[in-house]
Amino acid sequence: MKPVVGYAGMTHLGINSAAASAARGFHTVCFDTDSERINQLTQGNIPVSEPGLDELVVSQKTRLTYSSQPAVLTQCQVVYIAADVATDDEGRSDLRDIHHLIGTVISHLSPSAILVILCQVSPGFTRKVSWPADRLFYQVETLIFGRAVERAMSPERFIIGCQMPERELPQSYQDFLMAFGCPILPMSYESAELAKISINCCLVGMISVANTLAEVCERIGADWHEIVPALRLDKRIGPYAYISPGLGIAGGNLERDLATVCRLAEEHGTDAEVVRAWIHNSRYRKDWVLRVLHSNVLNYCPQPRIAVLGLAYKENTHSIKNSPSLALITHLTDWPIQVFDPVVQASAVSHPDCAQANSPVEAARNADVLILMTPWAEFKAIKPADLCQVMRGRTIIDPFQVLPGRECEAVGFTYISLGQPPRDVK
Amino acid sequence: MLVHHHSTPTLPTRVVVLGAGGFVGGAIVRRLLADRIAVLPLTRNDVNLMEADACEKLRAILRPTDSLVFVSAVAPAKTVPMLMQNLRMAEVVCEVLSSMTVDHLVYVSSDAVYADDANPVRECSPIAPTTLHGLMHAARELMLKSSTQAPVACLRPTLIYGSLDPHNGYGPNRFRRQAAKGESIQIFGEGEEQRDHVLVDDVARVVSLVVAARSSGALNVVTGVSTSFKRIADMIASQFGVDVVSQPRPGPRPHLLHRFFDITQIHKAFPTFQCTPLEQGLEQARKGAE
Repeated sequence: MKPVVGYAGMTHLGINSAAASAARGFHTVCFDTDSERINQLTQGNIPVSEPGLDELVVSQKTRLTYSSQPAVLTQCQVVYIAADVATDDEGRSDLRDIHHLIGTVISHLSPSAILVILCQVSPGFTRKVSWPADRLFYQVETLIFGRAVERAMSPERFIIGCQMPERELPQSYQDFLMAFGCPILPMSYESAELAKISINCCLVGMISVANTLAEVCERIGADWHEIVPALRLDKRIGPYAYISPGLGIAGGNLERDLATVCRLAEEHGTDAEVVRAWIHNSRYRKDWVLRVLHSNVLNYCPQPRIAVLGLAYKENTHSIKNSPSLALITHLTDWPIQVFDPVVQASAVSHPDCAQANSPVEAARNADVLILMTPWAEFKAIKPADLCQVMRGRTIIDPFQVLPGRECEAVGFTYISLGQPPRDVK
Repeated sequence: MLVHHHSTPTLPTRVVVLGAGGFVGGAIVRRLLADRIAVLPLTRNDVNLMEADACEKLRAILRPTDSLVFVSAVAPAKTVPMLMQNLRMAEVVCEVLSSMTVDHLVYVSSDAVYADDANPVRECSPIAPTTLHGLMHAARELMLKSSTQAPVACLRPTLIYGSLDPHNGYGPNRFRRQAAKGESIQIFGEGEEQRDHVLVDDVARVVSLVVAARSSGALNVVTGVSTSFKRIADMIASQFGVDVVSQPRPGPRPHLLHRFFDITQIHKAFPTFQCTPLEQGLEQARKGAE
């Protein structure tokens, strides 16, 4: 008989994980202490935006039970603590809510239940949880904003922290994990907790390499995008390597893990200088748009009108936490701006003269410069010739190369993106 | 980075400029006056920071509502005696600030406080001076910050040029003087070292902005554009119609070959502020010298 699986904490992580659990055929219990959130979920209002999530939740309606009463978890054989862990500006986790949630959940679990910590905790956390160690596990989550459903449905592997990794996992837990058809890697609690951090450190290391060399490209006339395919064909780097340059890491989870490594290094006397360099590089990259905006537009245009496309932290999400776009806009308060985002409203913006447009091209009307801050797929449909018709100026800052650069250049724009020198008709 | 304690620019009651007789101090006084800010310029004739009565004199002048701009220095501090002399001058100011309050303190420091290899230099780059001059400014910054409760802004200009610069160091000022005499401009080697040069009037403009915003923290006063000495020499040579001649270096190639700055913090602190482009600044310096 299939186990009933419970998820405590209906945040981004919990909702996506629960939906995937139901889709794999398990009756799934969704618990959150916030009754309003549970009411919304019961009515089909999903508080997070992810491609395919709404459809998945609707299709699994009969397998999903929502409740704000912890007693609902008593029926579950496997219960995940799946709440997002808040971080401060320095990336430090605030675990008070998680401790409280665990306490609430434990007092309602059946004695034989498996308790799994799924949320982002530091090494050493799971071992201290007051639940019998043979039924206590830590499971690495690898949620990616904008790809959360895909990741939850088809994980590359399960990394499981256990007290005794050499022992077989309890049957109910194993049955659940095997339904996803991926490798299961048991290891000690601390190894699993650090594995999660290790994954993110590898990603940040690659991103930092890309950012560092992309900036060199911008100065010496090379094009990082020409180099990337060569790197991907190298087996030591690989086709899925995180080697696209960006505007610094954002979203909170990677920063959290870097902060944790720095803290662990400080506590145990290990060398984390390279991690601090990554953090430094990330902060530097966050201001890339501000720098090129000043050097290419504001230095020459005293009364600019600035159009910003994209407010969300990244495409396919409603999240604005650590959004590079909102961070940029805080430094543009001396000039009028026009914004458009497919999901986020202009009311999220703190700016004295911000107009919301109803389309990308309308946002660009009479603008001296157009900045594409979030690479939403729908921005790819913008035709450079249409921008030519409505814009006053001739500068496009498109860090992620959403628009066709050569076409922008051909119709007279100076086109500026990450990893290549500014391109214009000159 | 700077934090503004006034959300909108506010004219201070009075700005006392200590070191108003110098190249930078004089430019600051002129800028503040042009910005209609009440200024009390103090030169060494008014308060000589090396004399025994300096504390008493300065304390009698300062008011709690004053913004104090501290520019005085014997610069560059090339020897240990010069270093100690500069520290004693700062000690006087610290002693006064410890015994009375002012509204705001602006210290004109230097980019010499940073390590030579801190490229690109940012305000968060480690303070690791490699010269006595840099050590002097780094020490003074710490001394001042530890002596007052008032907001303290440490401004760290890079190489400053302008028509009234009394120094004749290798760079725009010396090149201009050579050219003005009709001589060839002499550069060392290929003159390939790239440095950032900031016009003294731009330093003064930043001081005025910082005073009006009552800012605290650190800010590099730089243009963000580094130019080779050869290029600078060529610009000045074309103004005066003289040649540029390469001379053998007097010593080994400098350890600090290039220095670049990341000017993001200026953009954030004063979004509409722009430094004078080098070519335009050199032209202003030429006209000023005439």
